[in-house]
Amino acid sequence: MMGFQLAFQPINFLFCFIGVLIGTLVGVLPGLGPVAAMSLLLPITFNVSPVSAIIMLSGIYYGSMYGGSITSILVNIPGEAASVITCLDGYQMARQGRAGPAIGIAAFGSFIAGTLSIVGLMFIGPSLAAGALRFGPPEYFAVMILGLTVLTFLSSGPMWKALLMAAFGLFLSTIGIDNVSGIARLSFNIEELVDGIGLVPVVMGLFGISEVMVNVEGSLDRSIFAAKIKNILPNLNDWKNSLGPIIRGTILGFFLGILPGAGAVISSFASYAVEKKISKHPEKFGTGVIEGVAGPESANNAATGGAYIPLLSLGIPSNAVTALLLGALIIHGIQPGPLLIKEHPDIFWGTVASMYLGNILLLVLNIPLVGLWVKILKVPYPVLFPLILLFCLIGAYSLNNNIADVFIMNVFGLIGYLFRKFRYEAAPLVLALVLGPMMENSLRQSLLLSGGSAFIFLNRPISSVILIVAFLLLVFPLIPWFKRKRPAFGE
Amino acid sequence: MNNDQVSSGIWFFIGLTICLLSLQYRLGTLSSPGPGFMPFLSGLAIGLFSMVGFIHATIRRNKGEVWTSLLKELHWEKALTILILLFIYGLLLRPIGFILCTLFFIGFLLRVTVPQRWLLVTGGSLLITLTSYLVFEVLLKAQLPKGFWGF
Repeated sequence: MMGFQLAFQPINFLFCFIGVLIGTLVGVLPGLGPVAAMSLLLPITFNVSPVSAIIMLSGIYYGSMYGGSITSILVNIPGEAASVITCLDGYQMARQGRAGPAIGIAAFGSFIAGTLSIVGLMFIGPSLAAGALRFGPPEYFAVMILGLTVLTFLSSGPMWKALLMAAFGLFLSTIGIDNVSGIARLSFNIEELVDGIGLVPVVMGLFGISEVMVNVEGSLDRSIFAAKIKNILPNLNDWKNSLGPIIRGTILGFFLGILPGAGAVISSFASYAVEKKISKHPEKFGTGVIEGVAGPESANNAATGGAYIPLLSLGIPSNAVTALLLGALIIHGIQPGPLLIKEHPDIFWGTVASMYLGNILLLVLNIPLVGLWVKILKVPYPVLFPLILLFCLIGAYSLNNNIADVFIMNVFGLIGYLFRKFRYEAAPLVLALVLGPMMENSLRQSLLLSGGSAFIFLNRPISSVILIVAFLLLVFPLIPWFKRKRPAFGE
Repeated sequence: MNNDQVSSGIWFFIGLTICLLSLQYRLGTLSSPGPGFMPFLSGLAIGLFSMVGFIHATIRRNKGEVWTSLLKELHWEKALTILILLFIYGLLLRPIGFILCTLFFIGFLLRVTVPQRWLLVTGGSLLITLTSYLVFEVLLKAQLPKGFWGF
């Protein structure tokens, strides 16, 4: 009750509204993400209370999850890394004139998943956080290996290509200062590479710039988009097909969101994998099935609720966004950790209650505005693509006010273009780039713990089970019988 | 040779290069991995997967899969134009500022890649530039470059 009282105070209501509106906006705009938006707005929170600050910043976080799905569906550019998978079926639905139902089910699924994950945060949080404490470096490493393996398992092309992309992503993640030794690796005396290659410019280049390049060299007559778009809201059949994926995505996303590194991104990919696996028509995935949107979008929103558990209970951020929230709390003189709920109940319960409120506001904002987002599709592509490029350029530059990020984005635009020509999927690279630093830390810590013995991963029950599952996923495609039955992404 | 044979061959050399570059950063030992450890592992993995890919592609080549042209019947010069423009934008953004740079960038794209009417080109580029300035610079405080004439 205290939390709701705090959340419904006019000032906190206003900050929640501003946060979800800005979050949706930055999620919709290709290239800009919640990290950039939160870092831009962090200074304006210095003069408000910690509760209001966290409420607004949190609103940006889950608002961007809503918004990110919109660009994935409308223009095949993921607004957020967690919305990459939504491009596969969401964009195909849009091309079939079903952009409205796709966006609608993404909004409803996100609302349901977000609401249920907040319930989980409230009731299950402390117990699950204790379980996550048992994860040491070998377990974290194993989880991330599993995440990459799941993704390569789902590749539409040969697995070797996806594994190669993942390895390349791992290599890219090593560029920059090594956390242990402090040495700048593979920066070639280029100052801008000392801090490493940022995720945002890479994603914008691989997905945004390359998409435009591929599109402009073909015919730009898009008769599909000229067709009238009907039935903006999901129909009964859509709901029938989506309810299961939403529930499953919520559960999967919530539990995966708790694990550092295995957050919204892996949740969305895992949900897609599960839905494809249990579907009666797995071959239709990638051609525009609503399950391919409902599940992942629910999973990534549920993961945001799960990600708050280690942050608020242990003081451990799950990803860059929650790391920024951690920084905001510290700036306001609050030390997150096991004592946060006891010493600052207003922060914990105010944040939780505001997340309920924020999810309602997002649904209220997004469903009526679905028609507006869909109208973007009617803009002729020769006029639309300069806007897309401009947003990517601004997004890359404004991240660090560094022109080098623009050049990195352009380089990866060319690389992404070549990937598309030679049929390499970029998603494994992106996931490996995100997980790479954590994987390296976990691997090095594990080997230090074991004195150099790789058997540490097999001696510990949790990591051994996870690695066995990963191994089986790698090996099964080689079995001819299983090879015939393995579902694959449609491209 | 087919497309995958060529690409996997290129990847093999990329992996080999990464391994060689990593050696200058001290691999360390298994009990105390050095800064070159992970890059070396990733280079090794790239090399390994590329060899698997080359074998796989060779099998398919023997089954009749040949090189497929990547640019046939496509307006690849438009893609190249866009890429060059993007790099020029990056070079000129700070010297001439966001507003002028974006104005020329959008105008060029609207006129050259898929030619639009001059009214749309001038009006569209003005509208897009000013709107994006308003949203990103004024509302979101993105601190876009001003150029040497202050705007």
